[in-house]
Amino acid sequence: MWLTLGFVNNLCIAGFPAISEDFSGIFCNSRRFTPGNILKKILQMEDKELSHEDSLRLINTMINKAKNSYHDTGVGPILWGTVVGICGLVSFFRIQYKFILPFDIWLLTLIAILPQVYLGVKASRTRKVKAYEESTMDALWICFGVGIFILSFISGFIYNNFHPMVEEYARRNPGVSVLNYDSFSTAFFLLWYGFPTIITGVLRNFKPMLAGGILCWILCIISVFTPLKIDMLLTSVAAIFAWLIPGVILWKRFKKRKAAHGI
Amino acid sequence: MEFKDLDPILHSQLRLAIMSLLISVKEAEFTFIKEKTNATAGNLSVQLNKLKEVSYVEITKQFKDNYPLTLCKITLTGIQAFETYVKALQSYMNL
Repeated sequence: MWLTLGFVNNLCIAGFPAISEDFSGIFCNSRRFTPGNILKKILQMEDKELSHEDSLRLINTMINKAKNSYHDTGVGPILWGTVVGICGLVSFFRIQYKFILPFDIWLLTLIAILPQVYLGVKASRTRKVKAYEESTMDALWICFGVGIFILSFISGFIYNNFHPMVEEYARRNPGVSVLNYDSFSTAFFLLWYGFPTIITGVLRNFKPMLAGGILCWILCIISVFTPLKIDMLLTSVAAIFAWLIPGVILWKRFKKRKAAHGI
Repeated sequence: MEFKDLDPILHSQLRLAIMSLLISVKEAEFTFIKEKTNATAGNLSVQLNKLKEVSYVEITKQFKDNYPLTLCKITLTGIQAFETYVKALQSYMNL
């Protein structure tokens, strides 16, 4: 199937005029001959023999129509970029200014699941078509979400088991620098943030997200050498660049498209 | 050079438009296909049934918010037929 799609796309790239994506400008200069009007004309010619050029033109038009039917609103990345960004920043200021919150700020990520589920259900209800890419993306980000909670569980388990031992060692060896697992665990989370972000960026050919994912991995390596306070700041920066900014770009594109095509 | 015959089921404007749409997506609602092909509901329904008869598409009927919902999906046979059709076109046009 992909070979076929590739073939049709290659025809466009090769400059085959009859099936060019924007053939309205090639065939004629009149506004009457928009791709939609040409398609309508082709479909109205029920009795007329379909030429090979017509067939290819029709295939190309429909494939492009299907491709353009999916629009990412960017709401999901904006939500998670904001939540994780805020959690990271609050954690940074909490350590910096040594204040105590009545609750763990990272619990906000659990609360954020509710609007995410609502948005997902709403999108699936209004969606008239399901693209292959969407299914892949859904699976990828669900696995990421579940993975984050498994990673948090493992981190908590390791911390609870090792921390008493480390505290005892620090008590017996005053002045000796001891391992702080919390500081190292941030690196695993940043590594995990990078995976789906890079894959999404590559699959959607969306450079801001690809760059954001790569930044997560760079910050992951840096976080190994920085204290927990800075790690929290790095987490916030990662969330802003990997999700919030790409999400805002997607939202703007969606709004622009909606205004232009009314979708 | 030997020219392959074009599949008569696919060599029709509306059926080819439906197959080209469905090959690009996992599944699509009837209303989506209608909107994208600019076809009438009656004609679309007839052509979809023709494609279903030769097992090129799978049609599932269900309900969404108490309204009937028709979902269409291309089958493996449909994908193979579409590929053969495009290859035949390719050979005709020496591409």
